[in-house]
Amino acid sequence: MKNPPEERLVNLVVALVATEQGLTKDTILTSVSGYREQSEAGASKDALEKMFERDKENLRGLGVPIETIGDWADPDDLREARYRVPTAEYELPEDIEFTPAELALLNLAGGVWSESSMSAEARGGLRKIRALGIAVDEPIIGYSPRISLREPSFAPLQQAIEQSQVATFDYLKPGEGAPRLRRVQPLALIEYEGRWHVYGIDLAAAADRTFLLSRIVNDVTTTRDTFDPALRDGAGERALAGLEDVAARNRALLEVNPGTEAALRLSRRAQPAEQGIHVHYVDVHVFADELASYGPEVRVVEPAQLRDQVIARLEATRDVHGGTA
Amino acid sequence: MIARKPLIATDRAALILQLVPYLIAKGEVSITEAADEFEVTDAQMRTMVQTLTVIGRPGDGGYWQMPNDLFDIDWELLDQHDLISITNSVGLERSPKLTAREAAALLTGLQLARAIPGVGGTEVFNGLLSKLARGASSTPADVILAPAPVDAVRDAVAEALRRGVAVSFTYKAPDAAPTTRTVDPIKVLIATGEWYLQGWCHLREAMRTFHLDRVSDLELTDIAIEHGQDPVPEWFESGTGDIVARIRFPESVAPLLGDYLDRATVETVGGVSTATMRVADEYSLRRLAGRRAGVVEIIEPEPARHAAAAWAEAGLAQYG
Repeated sequence: MKNPPEERLVNLVVALVATEQGLTKDTILTSVSGYREQSEAGASKDALEKMFERDKENLRGLGVPIETIGDWADPDDLREARYRVPTAEYELPEDIEFTPAELALLNLAGGVWSESSMSAEARGGLRKIRALGIAVDEPIIGYSPRISLREPSFAPLQQAIEQSQVATFDYLKPGEGAPRLRRVQPLALIEYEGRWHVYGIDLAAAADRTFLLSRIVNDVTTTRDTFDPALRDGAGERALAGLEDVAARNRALLEVNPGTEAALRLSRRAQPAEQGIHVHYVDVHVFADELASYGPEVRVVEPAQLRDQVIARLEATRDVHGGTA
Repeated sequence: MIARKPLIATDRAALILQLVPYLIAKGEVSITEAADEFEVTDAQMRTMVQTLTVIGRPGDGGYWQMPNDLFDIDWELLDQHDLISITNSVGLERSPKLTAREAAALLTGLQLARAIPGVGGTEVFNGLLSKLARGASSTPADVILAPAPVDAVRDAVAEALRRGVAVSFTYKAPDAAPTTRTVDPIKVLIATGEWYLQGWCHLREAMRTFHLDRVSDLELTDIAIEHGQDPVPEWFESGTGDIVARIRFPESVAPLLGDYLDRATVETVGGVSTATMRVADEYSLRRLAGRRAGVVEIIEPEPARHAAAAWAEAGLAQYG
């Protein structure tokens, strides 16, 4: 009977962690349990090697750092290559300890992802930390923070960032009739005022751009083109600064009816003006969507572009509901 | 309770790699407790533990492995008491590093936790950020939450929670006159930058959820909270309103409607979706239609449909 593949995968990790100088592929295929049985049963070397390559990839995907020590004279010649997992790279560093208070905070932090795939990631990370054998503090009660994440483009973009790979997607800008294909070096994901964005370098424009994930209209494709991971350094802060810059430049003058939902919701973002309030915004279409939702509770004084966008939305809402005639 | 999905071989391998340090830290643990920790069934946990005992270092020079080259457990404890205890270990004793994605999920969650007044100081957060960065097997992708504006009402609610006293405030619900409430604060829900206070409302004598943006003139009282142990409603009680609404929209727009559709029944024919759901007030329907102007159409109830048109018209009248 063939052993289940997880046995072989874990046996491989144990063998590669246990070796200092590394094991050659031949040694692995004839001695590590899971390969050895199949070698002895007469499996072809080709099939075993393919299995080994696949296993290596899968383990690397789990974060197991498999090191390849090649021929120093010819690094591309992998026939005599040795493989190992350096313990220091594999294990949580010995000097990392977590206090019970820190663990309580991490438990709160890990619980924010509700139903998205990031939730499983957070729980997996917490499980590894808990297995360090830390005493558990009282949980932090009184707060239930949640991050909403519905965009299917998030996960492939995150993976593209991790692996410094160029991603492509169709992006539909409001006002443009059809989506356009973008090729982007994605550098950071950022949530701003409840909306998710990807920040990166648009290769056609050769410049930094920030895209709203809700405007990506197809599946994100990750290409084989990679870029310098150093571009990712500080990308999150640059993305945030970029959005704040845009918001600082865009300022609307609004008149709101006191005591209404509009007044309550806008007031947190507003500064008082001589007549009405000033509110900064990032994207004229997104802000027009919000303002149109308040109906007669708010009037846009300026800028004209925002006012026109709101008027167009109010007309569309009226007309689709049969008008008022 | 988290759904327990079937696992593929790679997932099972990942769990076994985490299981060893967990079992060693625990010393002795029941099948059920370990299964809960790893989000698997008791039967799956038993299989994982049995799998562990055929894993070990390769045998020397072509020989088969010796018993002490393999993981082993106390079989009697397992068979008779459903307890797991490792008796021989051949490596993997310390937890593996976090994957980049595991670290990112926690780092981003910490940014949200940091926005809560009084939860952990700057030093604690910075310490955790650096530990997670060093504890990751590769650099996590930057996943950033823009900090929300500081707000006196939020600070005061946090203070009331800490001190265990009731708060009083003016509440302006949509389509209703403002009311003055006294509330025992129990829990703050934070979602997409918005805060909701759950607590025992002295006026309604029941648990209520208040959107903090609709709260003004909030003050702490000297009244100690009495209902702190009462059960609070589920996270969002959407879908519990009195009004049955039907809306129509192009199928492609669905992702933009967010949690509106969470409890809705949606039928799609030829790319056009119709959703039926319960809502608490017509105001929120009107706002949804206004936000997705011309794309989301209220079909029922009929008065809400007319109200949406009239409301938009009233908005337009301001521009003359």
